[in-house]
Amino acid sequence: MALGSICGLQTMTKLNSSLRENCNLLNSQDSAFVNEAIYGSENFVTPRDIDILSNQKNLTDKDSNVKIHFDHGTTTLAFKFKHGVIVAVDSRATAGPYIASQTVKKVIEINPYLLGTMAGGAADCSFWERHLAKECRLHELRNKERISVAAASKLLANTVYNYKGMGLSMGTMIVGWDKKGPGLYYVDSDGERMKNNMFSVGSGSTYAYGVLDSGYKWNLSVEEAYDLGKRAIYHATHRDAYSGGVVNLYHMKESGWIKVSQTDVKELHYQYQEEKSRRR
Amino acid sequence: MECLIGLQGKDFVLVASDTMSARSIVSMKQDQDKMFPLSDKLLMLVCGESGDTAQFAEYIAKNIQLYKMRNGYELSPSAAANFTRKQLADALRSQTPYQVNLLLAGYDKEDGPGLFYMDYLASLNKVPFGVHGYGGFFSLSVMDRFYRKDITQPEAMKLLQQCIDELSKRFIVNMSSFNVRMVSKDGIQNLGVIKPQPASV
Amino acid sequence: MEPKLTPCGQFIIFQARRYDSRTTIFSPEGRLYQVEYAMEAIGHAGTCLGILAKDGVLLAAERRNTNKLLDEVSFSEKIYKLYDDMACSVAGITADANVLTNDLRLIAQRYTLQYQEPIPCEQLVSSLCDIKQVYTQFGGKRPFGVSLLYMGWDRHYGFQLYQSDPSGNYGGWKATCIGNNSANAVSMLKQEYKEGETSLQEALALAVKVLSKTLDMTKLTPDKVEIATLTRENGKTKIGVLGVNEVEKLIKVYQEEEAKIEAEKKKEAEKKKSSS
Repeated sequence: MALGSICGLQTMTKLNSSLRENCNLLNSQDSAFVNEAIYGSENFVTPRDIDILSNQKNLTDKDSNVKIHFDHGTTTLAFKFKHGVIVAVDSRATAGPYIASQTVKKVIEINPYLLGTMAGGAADCSFWERHLAKECRLHELRNKERISVAAASKLLANTVYNYKGMGLSMGTMIVGWDKKGPGLYYVDSDGERMKNNMFSVGSGSTYAYGVLDSGYKWNLSVEEAYDLGKRAIYHATHRDAYSGGVVNLYHMKESGWIKVSQTDVKELHYQYQEEKSRRR
Repeated sequence: MECLIGLQGKDFVLVASDTMSARSIVSMKQDQDKMFPLSDKLLMLVCGESGDTAQFAEYIAKNIQLYKMRNGYELSPSAAANFTRKQLADALRSQTPYQVNLLLAGYDKEDGPGLFYMDYLASLNKVPFGVHGYGGFFSLSVMDRFYRKDITQPEAMKLLQQCIDELSKRFIVNMSSFNVRMVSKDGIQNLGVIKPQPASV
Repeated sequence: MEPKLTPCGQFIIFQARRYDSRTTIFSPEGRLYQVEYAMEAIGHAGTCLGILAKDGVLLAAERRNTNKLLDEVSFSEKIYKLYDDMACSVAGITADANVLTNDLRLIAQRYTLQYQEPIPCEQLVSSLCDIKQVYTQFGGKRPFGVSLLYMGWDRHYGFQLYQSDPSGNYGGWKATCIGNNSANAVSMLKQEYKEGETSLQEALALAVKVLSKTLDMTKLTPDKVEIATLTRENGKTKIGVLGVNEVEKLIKVYQEEEAKIEAEKKKEAEKKKSSS
């Protein structure tokens, strides 16, 4: 925009917000100023003269000759219990049948009191959660207090809702601690946002739910909860080919989050197998 | 796979919504509230495309509250329903239509109780009873058979229970519980959660 | 495609705007002359009067264009029906008034389109006043030289009477008057209006009385005045303009009354004279 104003360029980019209409009320001097402010706050703008909604078919259609296919394989989970919130994720990234990486960080550390998980498009998740981190920091500066988990998750949900149908792909859990205590929300690229004590997202989520549901209690001890999180991810990686690598485990407490462990699922496999045979 | 039910009695409207929130084949939440209070005596039940439901309901709710703030009185249920219809119809012809189905239950001190049925194509009808979703295939006939215009509150509760029992018996999708609320001259009353009762035979 | 402005073009617009906006900026004494001049214009316009009664509302307006060569295609000259539940009368520049009544009708219909029910009275008045206000603040425009009286009914507040100014100010009234000699008329109304017990029939008599005394003419005639009433019948609002005979009857009743009072006064005076 700065370059644009030097060149005397009047950008007529279509903003998908109604802010554009509001600045029509002002004269051209003011509107240049307002425009700049809008660009500042809405720094991800849709291109003009392109119908994104119909072009999207090229990217998502399986038979299309465009060779971009988003990866969807993941297992992530989070649950609230007596001592806070547990977040556990796998670390595999796939591109079709190919394992692109075994060391992906799927927990995004938004700030010391907020975590986000990553499922769906890796770039979409990391970009928009970084955008969320910025908004949360601004909230702190403006209001002199930390943003609530409810508000943070709503910000993200509203942002992605503005891009609904344009091909964003993300299923994320926003985990944090605020005045009301532990917070856990699920937000996805449909614009859905919900609150619950337990969520699991990704292709391995059904397997994770199975383990989680059978071992979950509110009064779990911290150690039991860590074990439940790890086990649920392990069993999901065992059955789901698109999940694997290591289990990254986080614990959200009143004092903020800590990273508990990073364990290769191979280790867990042998450990659990041994436990099973011992019990026999 | 969602289900919204509403029926109007002599001086009240009884509504129920299922409580499941599902993504593809997974049920992610079993206590989702699909009802949004628009004002003291106006309640909106929403189902449909995820994301759209909450966004549209909140948009309408805030606009109806804004109307009250600006004018010092509330919109009548029928005006609110027509306003909602217009917003939905305008969005339908835009790049980003809202794919939501709604029931609107309200009470007006002059017109009495009112139940409005609206689908995502923005067709609006005032109905004595209405059901959104597959549940309608099972429960509408039950309502047709047993509904009376002057139905009392206990009778309406019984009829609602009957509809939900039929759903659990014949519909393959599991709907474990329903939130129930009533709108009357005393405002919106929360009647808790009801579950299908196991068939006696 | 939106037009593209060169930096030079922007500069010219900026200069022109500053010049134009002189019309609606504060004077050093804190006054808005354009708005005051507009009010002044209304002070010379034909009188309009409104009275709120228990069972209805009325508007009465002075008719000035009474050339016998005029083709009376329009029966009503200064009283406009806005929608089923409201009518208004205007004082000021008729051309401006036509624009505003058009806006009023549009606003009312837009509301009906949105909500499928008639617009509540005050909302219509306030919406129009939002438009009027713009012309007192943004440069390059002149305010509307029109004051309006509105009568209406809605489900929230029943019968209502409103008045609005070129400034965008508005208020609800029990009885009021705008236009030529309105100050006198208002003070007369203040004296004669009985709160909460005036029937529409009494209000009509009062309107004729006030008009007769405040218009600069020796004798009020039916062709010089236009009276409209708003009542409710079987759950529907009825707006009607009084016919010539009805107005004539009202005037006659008033004159008889006046003659009686005059005669009484004379008698009183004679009594005094004879006793002293």
